[in-house]
Amino acid sequence: MTESTATPAEATRVVGDSRYEAALFRRLRTTETAAHLRQLMATARLRTLLVIGLSLFFWCGLFALFFVGFNFLKEHVAQPGELYHAKTVEFVFHLFFASLNVMLIFSSGIILYGGLFSSAETRYLLTTPAREERVVLHKFQEATLFSSWGFFLLASPLTLAYGISVDAPWHYYVLIAPLIISFVYIPCVIGALCCLLLIYKLAHVRMTVVVIVAGLSMFAAGAAIWDTVGIEREEIFEQKFFSDTIRKFSFTREEWLPSSWLSDGLIDAAQPRPRLPGPLRHTPVIRALLSLGLLVSNALMGRLVLTAVAKRCFRTAFSQLECRPRRPRRAGAVWVDRVAAALLTPFPPQVRLLLLKDWRLLRRDPVQWSQFLIFFGLLGLYFLNVDQFTVTAGDINHATWVNLVSFLNLAVVGLILSTFTTRFIYPMLSLEGRRFWVLGLMPVSRETIVWSKFVFAALGSWMPCAVLILVSDLMLRVPALVVGIHQLTTVLLCVGLAALAVGLGATMPNFRETSPSKIAAGFGGTLNLVLSAVYIIVVVSLTALPCHFKLIAGSSSLTTEFLNPDYLDFWLIVGAGLAVAVGVVATVVPLYRGVKAFNRLEFC
Amino acid sequence: MIQFEGVSRSYGDTLAVRHLDLQIESGELFALLGHNGAGKTTTIKMMVGLLRPEAGRVLIDGRDVVTQVREATSRIGYVPDEPYLYDKLSGREFLYFVAEMHGLSRKDATVAIDREIERFGLGRFADELSESYSHGMKQRTVFAAALLHDPPVLVVDEPLVGLDPHSIRLVKDLLHERAQSGTSIFMSTHTLTAAEEIADRIGVMQRGELIFLGTIDELRHEYHAEGKSLESVYLSISGGAVGGATVDEVAQEEAVAHPTASDESP
Repeated sequence: MTESTATPAEATRVVGDSRYEAALFRRLRTTETAAHLRQLMATARLRTLLVIGLSLFFWCGLFALFFVGFNFLKEHVAQPGELYHAKTVEFVFHLFFASLNVMLIFSSGIILYGGLFSSAETRYLLTTPAREERVVLHKFQEATLFSSWGFFLLASPLTLAYGISVDAPWHYYVLIAPLIISFVYIPCVIGALCCLLLIYKLAHVRMTVVVIVAGLSMFAAGAAIWDTVGIEREEIFEQKFFSDTIRKFSFTREEWLPSSWLSDGLIDAAQPRPRLPGPLRHTPVIRALLSLGLLVSNALMGRLVLTAVAKRCFRTAFSQLECRPRRPRRAGAVWVDRVAAALLTPFPPQVRLLLLKDWRLLRRDPVQWSQFLIFFGLLGLYFLNVDQFTVTAGDINHATWVNLVSFLNLAVVGLILSTFTTRFIYPMLSLEGRRFWVLGLMPVSRETIVWSKFVFAALGSWMPCAVLILVSDLMLRVPALVVGIHQLTTVLLCVGLAALAVGLGATMPNFRETSPSKIAAGFGGTLNLVLSAVYIIVVVSLTALPCHFKLIAGSSSLTTEFLNPDYLDFWLIVGAGLAVAVGVVATVVPLYRGVKAFNRLEFC
Repeated sequence: MIQFEGVSRSYGDTLAVRHLDLQIESGELFALLGHNGAGKTTTIKMMVGLLRPEAGRVLIDGRDVVTQVREATSRIGYVPDEPYLYDKLSGREFLYFVAEMHGLSRKDATVAIDREIERFGLGRFADELSESYSHGMKQRTVFAAALLHDPPVLVVDEPLVGLDPHSIRLVKDLLHERAQSGTSIFMSTHTLTAAEEIADRIGVMQRGELIFLGTIDELRHEYHAEGKSLESVYLSISGGAVGGATVDEVAQEEAVAHPTASDESP
């Protein structure tokens, strides 16, 4: 004990200085972030640049969309300064920010829960002399950033497009960032407080409470939307519809809502300077500054409250959650496995066993199937409601749109499937490699392992995709020929995407990483995503274009040699044949290379 | 000094730790033995402030880990069974964070870090990101971090798992040396030979209860097992009961141990 440089009492006193502690955590964050960025640029430059590029592309697309929308409003509804323009902008801003207000509360609460109660870092920090509130604030920063990046991505093009469309003064652009940042802080603090207090008071029923609140919120939102869009079609966009809609969503303009302060602040800041002199506090820029003051003071107050609650509750809440009674999960629902086993009878026994094992792992991992269910469920809902296009014989516009939408639906299903194959199928062989002491010592060839993953992915994705595309086609009432082509394309997509993911996963496995999401985020996963997107575009284009021309020919009065039915049938067959050829190449080549690489692999 | 005064903790209706009374003096190396789920890790978690006792209190150098948690944790060096390091920090950066968290100035931290890097042979990889470390390297870095502020209490959970023979020797020597210099050491382990070799006293925990507390010689004497290894004595006394006891089971055990007058009446 002679080597001591600071006694524990001194140490506690030094660390007791909250500014010292804050600086320490700030330095920790900076060092970590810098190391992360350096590593990203050194080892995953392609992925980083791809992410930045796609984000910029997405941002520009949103900006263009909002700009066109605001210009439409200006040119076709009312000029800035007129009543309808003001009412519409007010409605859009309040509804938009109020919705995001609710979403931010949920997302920050959920992310903070993960950060505080199931993170190894927090577990470690709680054993150090760091104050509870500092640990909470440290994780709260992460939760705020992760929950709000999407908000910034949406809000920044919206506000910029609005400013440009109404020719806003310079101070509007200066005020955008402080207004948005101070607003974001408030719902995130509310989410964090809900998370802490929920675990502090109701740790044992936390999931039930979250599900009930989320369910009620979704029900209320769904009812409001249904109430608005579920009216007679001829009434849509009439003056009465406009007034009724504004009235129905008047709750989003309640003065106590932070989203209202933000909306008012932005709208005021964008107003031109009044021509006639009036009281200073009524000038738009001062009103905008007052809104900003309101947001900042509430955000700071929220931070104070969060600090106080964290100090009082966090350690107790953590302890309560750690000591909650845990019910062991039983391996139930065996009938599902029996059905799967019966369906897999045609396969060789070893492949069947591997497929059944993967099926069990999938159904017992809610992270995998819940994401699948959410995305495909949302797509299904959209497809079920896509009955606005009714084919009118001879109407070339309708035929064009129906065909376009049906193939776009096909491409969307393919793109979503490619994210799943990248996220869940691509890492499968890497994860299997970590457990290779199981499979490696069994009388199963490595080729069988690779093939079993391919069959699992192809079969598992084909069924839901085929059903979704069929629903879309039925709702769009496309001709039988198109239905057939769509189903063929779906098979090509499922088989090709599965082969790409499994083949690349076998060629570029990562045995060091335990997290599938991190494996998917590596170079191989990014490459798989890019190649999958290219494959989808090629296959869908090859089948869609000939089909499109054939439908136009059937609906058009034009009679050229190009639109001759025999000529078009030929191109249809050539297109489908080429798509099949591309599908075969995209299936065989990655699998062949994958099997070869996997056979040569050493598990070190 | 570490004191447990009537400490209990349950998980739902499972009693993980029952009425634990234990005192570990300065300079003593105490080893806690027990099956998986016997309550060892819960005991440690309460000591380092991760869990709060439902009953009783834990004192570290006289500081209550519930009411004076920061004063208590600043007196502890903790080596968990699964070492946590920041993936994107190098070993040296992590050690600086820990040292400064414990109030050491930059200059003192540098001296302490150099000392521990030398002691644990971390020099070769101290400036690499810790995501590339093996388990043994991580364990050594965590040991170094636990000793930076020269704590009067050292808590180690399964310190020898995953270490090579050289590192095991290093850790055993280190624990011995720290105990001799006055540090109270609380070690939870399944490595009975190590406990036999270095512990001053041992405790055997079963279903949340401390069923033996004393020296190894006292254990052999109590169970009439002179000359036998700690492993054979331990296996004979601990039986096969795994996990904590439920409330009902405890009630039944107490009914058998303390029969009421009506039970005793003919």
